[in-house]
Amino acid sequence: MTHHIEELKKYAISKLNLNAIGITIFLLFLFIAIAAGIISPYNPWIRFEPYIPPNSSHFLGTNDMGNDILSELLFGARVSLIVGFGASIIATVLGVIIGIVSGYYRGMMDEILMAITDIYLMIPRIPLIIILAALMRPNFWLIMLLIGFLWWPTTARVVRSSTMQIRDASFILSVKSLGFSDKHIILSEILPNINHVIIPKFMLTIASAMFSEASISFLGLGDPTMKSWGMMLNFAFMKGGLINEMWWWYLPPGLCIVAVVFSLMLIGFSLEEKENIVLGLE
Amino acid sequence: MKMRSKKIARYLIALFVIFSLNFIIPRLMPGDPITNLLGEDYVMTEESLQELREKMGLDESLPIQYLNYWNGVFRFDFGYSYHFKGPVSSIILSRMKWTLLLLIPSILFSAILGSLMGSISGQKSSSNSYKTLTLIELAFYSTPTFFLSLIFLYIFSFKLGLFPIKGFYYSGGILDILHHFFLPISIMTIFLTSRNYMIMRGSVIQEKSKLYVVYAKAKGLSDRQVLFKHIFKNASLPLLTLLALDFGFILSGALFIEIIFSMNGMGNLIYEALLSRDYPVLYGSFMIISIMAVLANAFVDFLYGIIDPRISDSV
Repeated sequence: MTHHIEELKKYAISKLNLNAIGITIFLLFLFIAIAAGIISPYNPWIRFEPYIPPNSSHFLGTNDMGNDILSELLFGARVSLIVGFGASIIATVLGVIIGIVSGYYRGMMDEILMAITDIYLMIPRIPLIIILAALMRPNFWLIMLLIGFLWWPTTARVVRSSTMQIRDASFILSVKSLGFSDKHIILSEILPNINHVIIPKFMLTIASAMFSEASISFLGLGDPTMKSWGMMLNFAFMKGGLINEMWWWYLPPGLCIVAVVFSLMLIGFSLEEKENIVLGLE
Repeated sequence: MKMRSKKIARYLIALFVIFSLNFIIPRLMPGDPITNLLGEDYVMTEESLQELREKMGLDESLPIQYLNYWNGVFRFDFGYSYHFKGPVSSIILSRMKWTLLLLIPSILFSAILGSLMGSISGQKSSSNSYKTLTLIELAFYSTPTFFLSLIFLYIFSFKLGLFPIKGFYYSGGILDILHHFFLPISIMTIFLTSRNYMIMRGSVIQEKSKLYVVYAKAKGLSDRQVLFKHIFKNASLPLLTLLALDFGFILSGALFIEIIFSMNGMGNLIYEALLSRDYPVLYGSFMIISIMAVLANAFVDFLYGIIDPRISDSV
């Protein structure tokens, strides 16, 4: 018994740590995004001498246009995080509404909504965004909206199955028999009880949205007035940063993408696994 | 049986929706539909443009255009590319084989590696060494394939000179092709393995508390036997489903690798089409990728029926 408690402690601590690592990295980038205007050494659009290697006045050198790369990087955090958050909020709201309605009402409604979800899931999302972004003028908000409106189906599925698990639970039935409306039951009984699936999914969706934004911007489809990390990589690749071995140009934005996505996944997965805390023991 | 026909109906509807999207998008977007349909990489007088407009039936009413469009789809006619100077369908098909050559081995290798490592890690989820492995895999999972490609290209091709920098391989034998494909396949395999690892690990963690596992243990089977004789088969089902569902995403990962390595597959085709705003190639690629995604889903459904007969019977 004591052995088990010991292990439980060990497990809980190690889980906490993983989550804490994720949260720390993420908060760091959140701080950078918010404080970019204060902590960044220069305005990212000011032009210095191009192609300067890292030195004391430009820690990460300058790019082909002479912009200070460190400043670009700090401001890029803002762009990348806003796209990720915005898209994930849209996707999560849509997914939660569709999932709850589908799982709570069941029947015909469920059939139709799930058929739509399944069909949506089969549309190759990145190629579709590539086409739409190519036809329209690249725009920051557009990319955020497109990702948001294409990324909801997996959330809807998860929310639906957790709603179905609790819709017939006795506490729901008793509220129902007291005559409360469906709206009330959904908002104050079901929603709080499936929060634990929505929140990790929300974090994972931010990660996925940022990943996709980076990919799309890497193809040169990003907003030219808002330099994201993906776009910095695009310029570094297109304008010879790789061939000329200017690691300070293409490495930092890539590492930032990896770090933020990694931190979000860490948070998301460790929250999801907390559900299985007893199982993790053995 | 009912389930199967429902699924088939769903696939057909999915294809119908995707193909219709492909009809609507160029006509709905701002700008002249003929530009949206032909791309911006052509030089033509206003007269010949008008002639072409008539020939393509753009003067007809939308319903007629829509019927003509389906007529084209059934004849596998996805239009003409002015940039690549040829019919879109044959351009894509000639590039496709190279993409599949990158994709299929990676999917196979990563399925084996990811499911083995993931399932063992799931069973020993409290072990610290497997936790470390999970963090490493998660880091790879967080790395866009194009960034991993940039790093690998820099280290192995630029610095160590082990592999070619450019991926074109018009001539040359199998060895030459292998030489060009080694790095791209490795990167794709690393990326997909991390994904399969995370899925399999989660799936085994969920599966291992079930009663049949407890029973198998009570029979006196070793951990390894329990894992590979009992848990593995059930736990690998989500892996299969997600492989099919995310086929578009997985394929996109391969396309980005091709772009970095300047390979001769669909990735560079799309990239070139993008740079020259050659829309017909973009539409055609989108359709072909969609067809592949739907086929992958159908194929996995079929596999499911073999692995787990309960699913095709019930539900």
